[in-house]
Amino acid sequence: MSATVNSDRKPVVVNGGPRAGEAQAARRERVLVSVQWLQENLRTPGVRVVEISVDTKLYAAGHIPGAVELNWNTDLQDQVRRDIVSKEGLEALLSARGIVPSDTIVLYGDHSNWFAAYAFWLLKIYGHADVRLLDGGRARWLSEKDGVQRPLTTEVPAVRPSVYTAHPADTSLRAHLVDVLGIVHTRSAGLVDVRSPDEFTGKVIAPPGMSETAQRAGHVPGAVSVPWGRAVNEDGTFKSDDELRELYRTAGINLERPVVTYCRIGERSSHSWFVLRHLLGVPDVRNYDGSWTEYGSVVGVPIER
Amino acid sequence: MNHTTRVYDSVLDLLPSEENPSPLVRLNRLAPAGSTLYVKLEWLNPFGSVKDRAAAEMIADLEAQGALRPAGQEGDGDAGRGIVEPTSGNTGISLAGIAAVRGFPMRAVVPAKVPEEKRVFLKLLGAEVDVVADAMCPLPGSEDGTIGLAKTHARASSERYAMPNQYENRANVRAHQRTTGPEIWRQTEGKVTHVFVSLGTCGTVTGLSTYLKAKNPAVRVIAVQPSAGHAVPGLRNTSELAVSALYDRSLIDELIEVDHRLAYATAVELAQREGLLAGPSTGLILAGAQQVAGRERVGLGVLIGCDGAFKYAQGFAAELARQDEQTAATGGLRQAQPHVAV
Repeated sequence: MSATVNSDRKPVVVNGGPRAGEAQAARRERVLVSVQWLQENLRTPGVRVVEISVDTKLYAAGHIPGAVELNWNTDLQDQVRRDIVSKEGLEALLSARGIVPSDTIVLYGDHSNWFAAYAFWLLKIYGHADVRLLDGGRARWLSEKDGVQRPLTTEVPAVRPSVYTAHPADTSLRAHLVDVLGIVHTRSAGLVDVRSPDEFTGKVIAPPGMSETAQRAGHVPGAVSVPWGRAVNEDGTFKSDDELRELYRTAGINLERPVVTYCRIGERSSHSWFVLRHLLGVPDVRNYDGSWTEYGSVVGVPIER
Repeated sequence: MNHTTRVYDSVLDLLPSEENPSPLVRLNRLAPAGSTLYVKLEWLNPFGSVKDRAAAEMIADLEAQGALRPAGQEGDGDAGRGIVEPTSGNTGISLAGIAAVRGFPMRAVVPAKVPEEKRVFLKLLGAEVDVVADAMCPLPGSEDGTIGLAKTHARASSERYAMPNQYENRANVRAHQRTTGPEIWRQTEGKVTHVFVSLGTCGTVTGLSTYLKAKNPAVRVIAVQPSAGHAVPGLRNTSELAVSALYDRSLIDELIEVDHRLAYATAVELAQREGLLAGPSTGLILAGAQQVAGRERVGLGVLIGCDGAFKYAQGFAAELARQDEQTAATGGLRQAQPHVAV
């Protein structure tokens, strides 16, 4: 992807000039921290670090000092019906980890923060004010390419339990099957499929070896393919706002209109949801967490390949 | 040690060297007419693969630095300090074998696609094994996956593990400069014209090419790589080589890509027509060498036979079943061997 955004090479002016650039920088600062910032703030009161990795062996093998863990499978999902964790469930999780609503929660994980982004989405649904992602995630912390070896520990921090009270779920951040079917018929929102190209075209139902799958392969009619990984640089950090904006525009997504993201089980799409909602500031972005494992199994819904 | 009587004080005395080279065996049926091909039987190394060389060199380096300590050396309950390494299996098995002899701990981090047989061998040699799910849509050069978990252990438990990191460790290259290159030169009496290798960490190709080209710049080093989407354990297509710092394109005269499905098919031929129990990567290399020999005369070609067939029983079972099905479908006539078209 080219770093040059304007084909006519005029200075980039997005949303009205230099002030907009400042607004963008401020927007990033509210939701992203760098490895340098985190290393300097590991002991700052009110900063709580949480690891959520796809590979749940990683936390025990070694984590950022002071970090607690959330398990994407057993903690963040309802364990009986297919749903996100309930408000009460989330309150219990955060209370047990000694987190309070005024804390700055810094999330990180493997695969450029897939499930960290999912947790970010979930925490926003339940109204936590200050949540941020570690830009580049766990791999960026591990990387020594900048000549710095950052600490990892196997020590699990002792925490004093708190009483965490969450807000009622903000349903405007989440799309359900019925919403997606509505969009298929009315095209009232852009649909972004963030899975790999082979999943989008229906060559495979799911990547090899994945246990969560669907009955049929393909994509939701009208969806465009923007694989999640195109939003990040080689080191897993997010691309610049201009590059990201161009990425979605080129794919045919109108950023002035509502957008819905989906993938297979809702984690990679949380990553793209984060990009659209919190880096680019698109006002109405919803994550369809039912994603292909739901849509691709429903009887009678239209599918494109 | 005495290489004539072959009586040794330790299995480690069997590690290959110029004085104790791995055997070169000529192909009498599978070499195209006019060309001479030899396979270097790396599976006869003590822990079963070419990786014994890099493992021994990397461990010697760490021991020289005082980085390794046998368990119990500092009293009861001392777990020692050993090795953690991301590996597709063979390097892990070689490291685990040496670690078992030396008495220090070994932890191997392997991707889920590694054949079950290799996981069993790792555990058989006393290694702890972490299996990492293969990434769904991995970023090239990412520090996630096996490398990420191994690095995590090495950093968070540095009192227990050192990580040799075969993808960056120059000892991996030095091993082949010191042993594989000189062995080939001596065994062929300097007459080697071509060497055929595969690419993984690239330690083999970089090391032996450096040595042989210094002896004779006309030696052609040809790297055979599987076509994209391959399932040949331990090998990488150059599009996946971002993770290896040891890859040096200038030391490779030619890169040829071979249909990855030929790896097992050609290894079956090696077994059935030459009696060589080689693994699939050797099959792939032979398929590449046959391509080259069909186009130019290979005066004296040496193929690196990376490892043996034993660790791929399930892969071979699938290949033989496929061939049986094909035979049945063609009315009992054995299909012409697929690689012969050159």
